[in-house]
Amino acid sequence: MMKFSRRLVLAVSTALTLSLGASLPALSADEIVIAGSLPLTGMFGFAGVGVEAGIQDYVKMINEEGGIAGRQLRFVYEDTAYKVDASVAAFNKLNSQEEIHFYYGDSTGFAKTINPELNRMGSILMAGTSYASELNDPATYPFQFMAGPDYTEMTGILLEYIAKEKPGAKIVLVNSDTEFGRDPIAGTKARAQELGLEIVEEIITPPTAVDVSTEVLKLRRARPDYAIFHGYLLAPIPEFMSQAKQLGLDTKFMGTFWSMDPGSWAKVGDVANGYMGVMPYRYADDEADDAPMLDRIRQMRPDYRSTPYMQGFLTAMLFSEAAKRTLEAGKELNGENLKAALNTIKDFDTGGIIGKPITISGNSIPVGRIYTYNAATQKMDPASDWISLQE
Amino acid sequence: MLIGTAKHSYRADEALLTTSPQRLWMAILLIALALAPLALDNYWLYLACLVSINVASATGLNILTGFTGLVSIGQAAFMAVGAYTVAVLEARTGLPFLVNLVVGGAVAACVGLVVGLPSLRVKGLYLAIATIAASFILHFVFVNWQSVTNGNSGINVTPASLFGVELTDYVHLYYVFVPITALMVLGAANLFRTRIGRAFIAIRDRDISAEVLGISLLRYKLLSFAVSSFYAGVAGGMWAYFFRVVTPESFPFIYSIFFLAAIIVGGMGTILGGVVGAVFMTLVPELLRFAVEWLTTIFPNAVTALSPIRTIVFGALIIGFLIAEPKGLAEIIQRIRRFFHLWPFRK
Repeated sequence: MMKFSRRLVLAVSTALTLSLGASLPALSADEIVIAGSLPLTGMFGFAGVGVEAGIQDYVKMINEEGGIAGRQLRFVYEDTAYKVDASVAAFNKLNSQEEIHFYYGDSTGFAKTINPELNRMGSILMAGTSYASELNDPATYPFQFMAGPDYTEMTGILLEYIAKEKPGAKIVLVNSDTEFGRDPIAGTKARAQELGLEIVEEIITPPTAVDVSTEVLKLRRARPDYAIFHGYLLAPIPEFMSQAKQLGLDTKFMGTFWSMDPGSWAKVGDVANGYMGVMPYRYADDEADDAPMLDRIRQMRPDYRSTPYMQGFLTAMLFSEAAKRTLEAGKELNGENLKAALNTIKDFDTGGIIGKPITISGNSIPVGRIYTYNAATQKMDPASDWISLQE
Repeated sequence: MLIGTAKHSYRADEALLTTSPQRLWMAILLIALALAPLALDNYWLYLACLVSINVASATGLNILTGFTGLVSIGQAAFMAVGAYTVAVLEARTGLPFLVNLVVGGAVAACVGLVVGLPSLRVKGLYLAIATIAASFILHFVFVNWQSVTNGNSGINVTPASLFGVELTDYVHLYYVFVPITALMVLGAANLFRTRIGRAFIAIRDRDISAEVLGISLLRYKLLSFAVSSFYAGVAGGMWAYFFRVVTPESFPFIYSIFFLAAIIVGGMGTILGGVVGAVFMTLVPELLRFAVEWLTTIFPNAVTALSPIRTIVFGALIIGFLIAEPKGLAEIIQRIRRFFHLWPFRK
């Protein structure tokens, strides 16, 4: 019988690890390749898994319809665990294996880090999970865009809603102490002033704060009509809501895209009832008449579709539309042509994913709708019509 | 087979490479490093640059923790000091990038001196907590010293340039970073042939005995912190030129754990340990990508399903190597060397 000595085990494990280092060849040169650095593990793992499913479904749908001008789409991606160095490694690895036309990035940090390389290469159009306001600058980020409003535009949509519902309302801003959290503060304050709304308190907390009793006391002193949270996935918003309810505050709690997943709120229970926020997309279970694409999504994926799924799906749709318009114009698929084609999108019907036709004149789509969480049905119910900041 | 390494002078006894096979292998390594960019694509060159940065920083931490016995979990924060210094100097002064790197290292060394003060009273886990506290204080400074650090948005760094060539391609960066790291590793190796390095080791082995022997704990503990932080600062400076954006979130706390893990896995208290530990910790997760990719030929969409397993396998490999050889990867290499000393006559 073979004896498993320490040396043998070490040698075999090292040899196996090294032998797998040989890269696999790319499949075909005629395809349109979407590549991605996805956070499939780590704190944003849920986002990566949702985005991957959304992009895969749209790619499958287009390929079954014959592709774009006869060319099939292919989606290749790597896990990054939401780490910038791993994202850049994935970008370089995929670029060394494929001729990439579109790229999906996993964070603001990656978008900023890879931007000089994107500009130098000039061959790729990129979008991603980040809605950072800084990226909404076509001069600095000419080959990037976001499939929705930037964070300042998201809070801008919330403020439009508030100004209409309760003119002169008092607002408290609660932001996490991260680049993500602090992103819209200055823009929100400026826009609130323009709309005659009063920011009565600004609260900054650690991103995963647990004990928020001091902050809730600040909230009680300020007695705002609305509290706008940004920079959180969920915690500590439920804790704020729970303590505010115990104190008898009638403040309405609001948030932005990343805290708008009903699947996450369902685990919170009744205290989540009434939580509001801005969503750039319809939820997949919305059975509106003018949303045929949602019917197709439900057919393809009957199980739960998260908010990142919708983001991934729409991003793939916009990638495809940019490729289609570029090829129709007889131009080469490169960053400049693809971005120019993307910016020709005017009054475009997304099949109901966004409830009104969209126009992409820059790097963002400043459109959204306010939804309210219903704990009884565990769904987000529309609380407003679609609000566009372009109008 | 090598039957003996007789030395006829103190100089030969103190040499870094004492045998001809060692010198031969080192020559092969240097030639391979010099020629590697001819064979590597952009992905591997990127990883080579990242390994180079991590080796420099891990070697610095090894001087402090492995050789002086002072536990630090603040290496990433010292790297951040170097990175911010380089970013600010690059944006505001236009000094040559090599000068910026040295100044980045020097500023980090000064911060390291201050952070090292608690080491005069506490050691072990207590000192580790003190260095954690220092890294959180530094993070607060990076976020709130808006006029210098630009707060949460951070600073964009323009590419370094050398002899009129902008260092934007990985191949250019490779030929700059690898020699710098090689010099730093050589410097560390030489440090332990001097009184200073031996004082560090004496402090690690028994600080009270060291003091009785006339080694000033104040001087040498702080000096160890300063040298270690200098290494981290220069590594952070290279990081800034490599990624070209420095934000407070660029150097998370987990990055400090990464370096501590690197020197433990590689082998604390040996120069080779810091190097192989950083190489292992940087490259193995990437090599495991290929394992997942290979499995996609059998199971479609394996990347999504197997990515969490990749993380588990990486953790298991670390534990496995440590069980097989608690002294780290460096000891495995030494064991291989000893095997060939007697080969083919060993049973």
